[in-house]
Amino acid sequence: MATTTTDTAQTSPDGQSSPGNRPSDRLTPDDYRELLKQLYLARYFDVRLIKEKKRGRLRGTLYSSHNQEAILVGSLYGLEPMDWISPIHRDMPAFFLKDFRSGWDNPDRMGMTIEEVCSQVWGKATSPGRARDNWSHIGSKSKRIIHSTSMLAGTIPAAAGVVLADRLNGLNTVAVTYNGEGSTAQGVFHEAINFAAVEKLPVVTIIENNQWAYGTPTHYEYPLEDFARRADGYGIPGLVADGQDVIDVYNKVMQAVEHARSGNGPSIVECKTFRAYGHGDHDDDRAEKYRPAEEVEKGRKRDPLHVMKARMIEMGILTQEEADKHPAEGKGASEVTDADFPPEVSEYLSRGVNFAVKAPLPDETEGAMWVFKEGE
Amino acid sequence: MAVAVTPDTKKNYLTALKEAIAEEMARNPDMICMGEDIGALGGAFGVTDGLIAQYGRERVYDMPISEAAIVGTACGLCLNGKTVMVEMQFIDFISCGFDQIVNMTATYHYRTAGEVNIPMVIRGPAGAYGGGALYHSQMNEAWFANSPGLKIICPSTPYDAKGLMKAALRDPNPVIVYEIKDLYRKREIEEVLPEEDYVVPLGKAKVVQEGDDVTIVTYGQNVYHALGAAEKLKEEGFSAEVIDIRTIVPLDEDTIVESLKKTNRLVVVNEAPRTCGFAGELLSRMTERAFEYLDAPPVRITRMDTPVPWVKPLELYVLPSVAKITEAALKVCRY
Repeated sequence: MATTTTDTAQTSPDGQSSPGNRPSDRLTPDDYRELLKQLYLARYFDVRLIKEKKRGRLRGTLYSSHNQEAILVGSLYGLEPMDWISPIHRDMPAFFLKDFRSGWDNPDRMGMTIEEVCSQVWGKATSPGRARDNWSHIGSKSKRIIHSTSMLAGTIPAAAGVVLADRLNGLNTVAVTYNGEGSTAQGVFHEAINFAAVEKLPVVTIIENNQWAYGTPTHYEYPLEDFARRADGYGIPGLVADGQDVIDVYNKVMQAVEHARSGNGPSIVECKTFRAYGHGDHDDDRAEKYRPAEEVEKGRKRDPLHVMKARMIEMGILTQEEADKHPAEGKGASEVTDADFPPEVSEYLSRGVNFAVKAPLPDETEGAMWVFKEGE
Repeated sequence: MAVAVTPDTKKNYLTALKEAIAEEMARNPDMICMGEDIGALGGAFGVTDGLIAQYGRERVYDMPISEAAIVGTACGLCLNGKTVMVEMQFIDFISCGFDQIVNMTATYHYRTAGEVNIPMVIRGPAGAYGGGALYHSQMNEAWFANSPGLKIICPSTPYDAKGLMKAALRDPNPVIVYEIKDLYRKREIEEVLPEEDYVVPLGKAKVVQEGDDVTIVTYGQNVYHALGAAEKLKEEGFSAEVIDIRTIVPLDEDTIVESLKKTNRLVVVNEAPRTCGFAGELLSRMTERAFEYLDAPPVRITRMDTPVPWVKPLELYVLPSVAKITEAALKVCRY
């Protein structure tokens, strides 16, 4: 796996990430501790759902974000509450991590509650979409989360549209879209980014480059070492981040966000990572058909929890003893226990799970509702 | 309006559309127009002529040749409170934005359990008979009639074009408008339009001509072919009732059923291909709802299951015509 953290020199936006001028220089030790806790929570969400499914309490396919959590946590941390996001199937924690800085339980937070997200996973009436479509196919107009479909890259034009509307209304917001590298070959990916570039729209396109589009490796998807170079063709910045390092992701995404918020238009931020498991849990046991075991082992080595802890130890804001207290890093769902996570993390999610398990199913007649909005 | 007109000036179909869009732009400050070449050029046919001069780039967007991004961006604008009129340069090109229409836009209200609605109008020149060939002649409304969440209209007169377009632009749902480009500047159908604001509600069919012996149900350009056939039928001693459904989705079934109670005979005409075209849907619904009233097997006259060919003899060969409608209706009347 490539782990280069250098910007593609000719396309970097204003504000190079030189020491002393990085967005992360403004982060406090408390921010680091919060980021670490969010990494734990995103990981716990993933492994807990797998356990719930194994226990038979959950149905449906799970799309694991295991090993990719730093991208979600690092990219969301610096956004303003009124910014838009557009997550897809491997970004489930993004729905509750949005505007998490306003307080995990702040009722006015511009993100979904853990109860809402779990209700969606369990297919209950208390889901924001009342369980009409599955998994990540939810969103919230009021919380400014664009509702995804299964058509990859399909929400990038919508992201362009919502920030264009904000701009016309005098609101300076940014939209951050999440995409696997597999979706970059879609025609609509090109069409939307091209228009956003023409119109200088504040759209930040994050590529979660986990090396695998279901069963197809990157070299069958595009012929570039760094996908971010594609940005050159649109005349916009293309940045490369170490997707295992929450701070590097934060820095690169914030560069792009500040570039966008200053009216300079869109960017592409490629976050290099590795998909730890199958495309979905349905194909975990078949993944070795197309991925050599040694590649998987190597790809999982730089666990984002480990990378962040090492950083914090080096900075003197975490002791080795504290780092070892909750050793979730490097462990798969079957090896990890609740004791490997800070109690506030497992308690927070348990609240959502317990709520969802007990919540009612939607009434069957809702299946025929809301095809059209009734006239005014 | 840019051009001063006297109240009794007859207006063509194109002017009616133009006025509807311009008046809605003036009425609704949250309305935006997007499409290819709709700015300085005013669109390939001039429907948006003058809008950019009045409203500028903030509300009128010349877009790259990117139908998917046009519809998708419009969808995002609507998600965030705007109303968007999207022009397809030709309705044939709508296929390039298909996914954004049927999966993103059409389903939005449904999949959000009513949280979001998308007030978008996608309109464009449609229809054959003009030598436009395969990719400038289509009537592909059946694709969208089979995609829940989209309303579809097809006006055949200047009055309806203006009134339906206004209703579409005020509707909280996505609406696709099939404008019959062969009617855009047709002198024979020009008419005086009301000076005051009016709408033609979606979902209401119109009895264009009353008759007792057979009901011919159609829309678009074929309304005029049906009227031509009605003249021929008169010579044979039969009186035909001609219904222009105007709205394909939602369909006004009641008006057709009421007519069949009187005429007991049904001919459906549609220029889209036969297999799974909307004519088939009309026949199915009427056999379900009005079977008891029918005295003869209902028939449909459609395009053959072919693309629309270019040169005139080929084009007319595959399309419905006055002669084909007359022949079929006579058979039904004499059954």
